[in-house]
Amino acid sequence: MGRINDVGGMQGFPSIAREDDEPAFHADWEAHVFAINRALLARGLYNLDEFRDAIERMSPQDYLAASYYERWLHGVTTLLVEKGVLAAGDLVDVAHDHG
Amino acid sequence: MQPGISWMSRTTMADELRPGDVVETPRTDPPHHTRVPRYARGATGTVVDFEGEHPLPDNRARGIATAPESVYTVRFAGDQLFDGTDHDIVLSMWRSYLTKKADDE
Repeated sequence: MGRINDVGGMQGFPSIAREDDEPAFHADWEAHVFAINRALLARGLYNLDEFRDAIERMSPQDYLAASYYERWLHGVTTLLVEKGVLAAGDLVDVAHDHG
Repeated sequence: MQPGISWMSRTTMADELRPGDVVETPRTDPPHHTRVPRYARGATGTVVDFEGEHPLPDNRARGIATAPESVYTVRFAGDQLFDGTDHDIVLSMWRSYLTKKADDE
């Protein structure tokens, strides 16, 4: 059962856009997601393979619509809920407060 | 290849692979995380190097305690994987992904 991430060799995707002097992050929130993930990996809440797995379990529609760090955020929040650190409702509330 | 890891130290284990060994990859996708890309399923390749020992990601992603196992560099002829490709494709493969083909095959 292949997953949506496993698209190597598949036709039809646009070519990869390469930016000159591309910054590591295109917005502050991306750096925050990067830092949070590194901290949670270092604390041993989950390992790198669990993180990859969490991203690969995204629905195909969500996966293809998401940017790189949006996928990371999805992976982090999925694992925070599955590991019992957050309740699923907490994520909705935060999104609402900042909406 | 990591410095200090030699083939000589690996050859004492019966199930270890050596450069030149012909190997096959799994034909089917497992129902969990794996590091075998779809395009390399059911393919035949040749071991070219030893990359060290690492726990199998398929197990680690599922919280299954797992001892490190050998990871090999495996070369595939491009036309094995994609029609009209004339270059080689080289992948890192955990030992569990590989079945050694008998010498007479």
